[in-house]
Amino acid sequence: MIRSLRRAADRRRQADGRYGGLFRSYAGDEMVAIDCETTGLDTRTAELVSIAAVRIKGERVLTSGSLDLRLQPPASLRGDSIKIHRMRGIDLSDGETLDEALEKFLDFIGNRPLLGWCIEYDLAVIDRHLRPLFGFGLPNLCLDMAQVYLREMHRTRPQLEPTVNFEAVAEALKVPVIGRHTALGDAVTTALMYIRLKKGALVPS
Amino acid sequence: MMVDIDLSQPPFTLLDDSGRKRVLRGVDLIYFDSGEVILEAGQSGECVYIIHKGEVAELDPHAPDRQSRIAHYTAGDLFGAISILNGTSRYRFQAEQESLCYVMPKALFERLCGDYPTFAEFFRRGLAQKTRLLAERRVESGVNMAGFMLARISDCMRAPLIVDATTSIAAAVAQLNENHADSLLVGKAGRFGVVTKTDLLNALVMEGATQERPVFAIAHFELVSAGPDQYLFEALVQMTRHEVARVVVVERGRPVGVVELTDVLSYFSSRSYMVSLELEKADDLEALARASARLPGMVQTLMSQGIKLRFVMDLLAALNGRIVNKAFQFLIEPRYRTQSCLLVMGSEGRGEQILKTDQDNALIVADDADWAECAVAMQRLTETLYTLGYPPCPGNIMVSNPAWVNSESGWRRTISHWAERRDGASLMNLAIMLDASGVAGDTRLLERLREHLLASCSHDELLLSYFARAALHFNAPLTLFGTLKRPRHGIDIKKGGIFPIVHGVRTLALECRVTATSTLARLEVLAGQGRLEADFAADLGEALTLFTELRLRQQLAQLGGRENSDEPNLVMVQNLSSLERDLLREALHIVKDFQQRLTHRFHLEY
Repeated sequence: MIRSLRRAADRRRQADGRYGGLFRSYAGDEMVAIDCETTGLDTRTAELVSIAAVRIKGERVLTSGSLDLRLQPPASLRGDSIKIHRMRGIDLSDGETLDEALEKFLDFIGNRPLLGWCIEYDLAVIDRHLRPLFGFGLPNLCLDMAQVYLREMHRTRPQLEPTVNFEAVAEALKVPVIGRHTALGDAVTTALMYIRLKKGALVPS
Repeated sequence: MMVDIDLSQPPFTLLDDSGRKRVLRGVDLIYFDSGEVILEAGQSGECVYIIHKGEVAELDPHAPDRQSRIAHYTAGDLFGAISILNGTSRYRFQAEQESLCYVMPKALFERLCGDYPTFAEFFRRGLAQKTRLLAERRVESGVNMAGFMLARISDCMRAPLIVDATTSIAAAVAQLNENHADSLLVGKAGRFGVVTKTDLLNALVMEGATQERPVFAIAHFELVSAGPDQYLFEALVQMTRHEVARVVVVERGRPVGVVELTDVLSYFSSRSYMVSLELEKADDLEALARASARLPGMVQTLMSQGIKLRFVMDLLAALNGRIVNKAFQFLIEPRYRTQSCLLVMGSEGRGEQILKTDQDNALIVADDADWAECAVAMQRLTETLYTLGYPPCPGNIMVSNPAWVNSESGWRRTISHWAERRDGASLMNLAIMLDASGVAGDTRLLERLREHLLASCSHDELLLSYFARAALHFNAPLTLFGTLKRPRHGIDIKKGGIFPIVHGVRTLALECRVTATSTLARLEVLAGQGRLEADFAADLGEALTLFTELRLRQQLAQLGGRENSDEPNLVMVQNLSSLERDLLREALHIVKDFQQRLTHRFHLEY
């Protein structure tokens, strides 16, 4: 409710600006799978480390035109997150500044619907950074792959209590996990999961 | 990078790093459901596909159901490139399982082809060059060389020629000549000395010694010796160090052999020379059997050195011919030898057998010969060949069978009879006879008979058509192809690859009256006559060589006890590297193409 009110307000303000296109409803047939790696798990404090996005068109994951951005090391890049995505400060020293990266990201996704694994989290972190710099949050339609999977499982196998973790879902959908814990890898894997699901991978034959 | 293609395999090895980076950056991922058609026959080729996961079949939608399978691709394989080069796809590509593929757009593929000529060449060139690429890679790997470098002295030594102390120089020279040896050992009271040809020359010419002088006087007793279990290269080192050309092999104080420098060198270059020498020297059946037993090892060595299979086959055919010829000489009186001709047939006749095959032989006896005990002699010949390592022919096509021994005019009548009957057995006999080659006796008998055979068959269109049909008999070898899940299953390359080529070429040889018997030689003649395009003939030859090589590798593996499969003709697709699979697939395409041409030429459409 609050989100849609904010979006309406954002739209009014941005309608004639550089990002007005983002607020128009999308008429194409593409989606964008996104994923972020961050410094923590708390959306109020986590900093962005990398952002990746890859377009999905029909049955194809357009890896050839994917976006894979690494950001300059934020102050909060600490040991425990390094353990997760094996990225040290030094790996990021020639990364992009936050506003450059977000600008590229916005240009890449346009007004296409977004897809992500537990996308609420990524959205929250991105919006927290986006709002102070650009004055709006992401207006795109968003799909959470985990929710999509859960819904499909409930529909096709109502008797089961499905495990919704990334690796288990990938295995259930017979999708190879490519580059786990890299933003682009997870985005591509999520995209493949979505395609498989849309093609009826869970429908009992 | 998210793209996980194995770029260490051809054709990607033909790109440089920046080219490979372009591949990684330029491909998309795409999912196909099981059964989904990826590329339809006749559709234009828009992408190159590289399988990440899954299996894809290449099918011929126009063929009747059972024969429609062309090829099978699994993870790491690439397809679709040829469709781009040709404009449209010839066959249908269909996912056998859910398959995840990388797709490279046509535009990128074409730019890569433009920027890297060798990469483009990979897709354009014929099978011949691809095979070469494979051979080069195999030599690089050098795996087979290891066993070869570890040869022991006992593998290479010859029996010592030992004479007693009283032997004269003249008698020693006579012995050396008789045994084709370069040195001998003189024994006296348990001590042995060596006498070389050079020593004899020096004694006779430089010192003016008489021929009656005992050879003992000129022997050297400070022997350079080695044990039979030492490595052969140690013998070579010793010879170099002591500046001698031979090492005496001593076991428990007794000389058991001699290793000559020439033997070591020829062993390291190839063992073929040794075997042929031993074969020529053999003066009884036992020695012949010993030489004969060395042939498989020789083939292995030659193959591991990367000698072209064709030359190995030629050499082996010559050596096998010599063995049979010698056996014939030992058993048959000279006067009968000039009045008859012993034929070997089947793969032996074509010179295409690689290891020992079954006996397939026949005898032509001159019309004026008077040879009452012929049958007895032939029975003995068959038995002798068996002891020499040639198992009896299961179809009983052997000289011990009276049906395969006949006079020249008798054979002419038989052949005419076969040509008239045209039933299955007759056609098979004609095919067998067409491949016959004479190994002993008067080969003019065979030449005249072959002339008769060609004359009575080559213009008979109906006969040719019946004859050709067999080449299409095993039309669906590729249905066995897609069985990667079941390890015991393989494809039968003899039925699916070797036989169609051999028989098809044989048919054309019959039609064009080609007298050569080996398939490769026939192909050369046919290409020379313009009956086949030179390129196509070369590809057929390479395809045949590839099949034979694959089969040989399995046979050798069996000999080495590394594999206990008793079916050397079954090739396990999943054991092959991606490039080998690629080659096999192309070779089978060529077979299919050839079968189609035969169908067209001999009107076998129904």
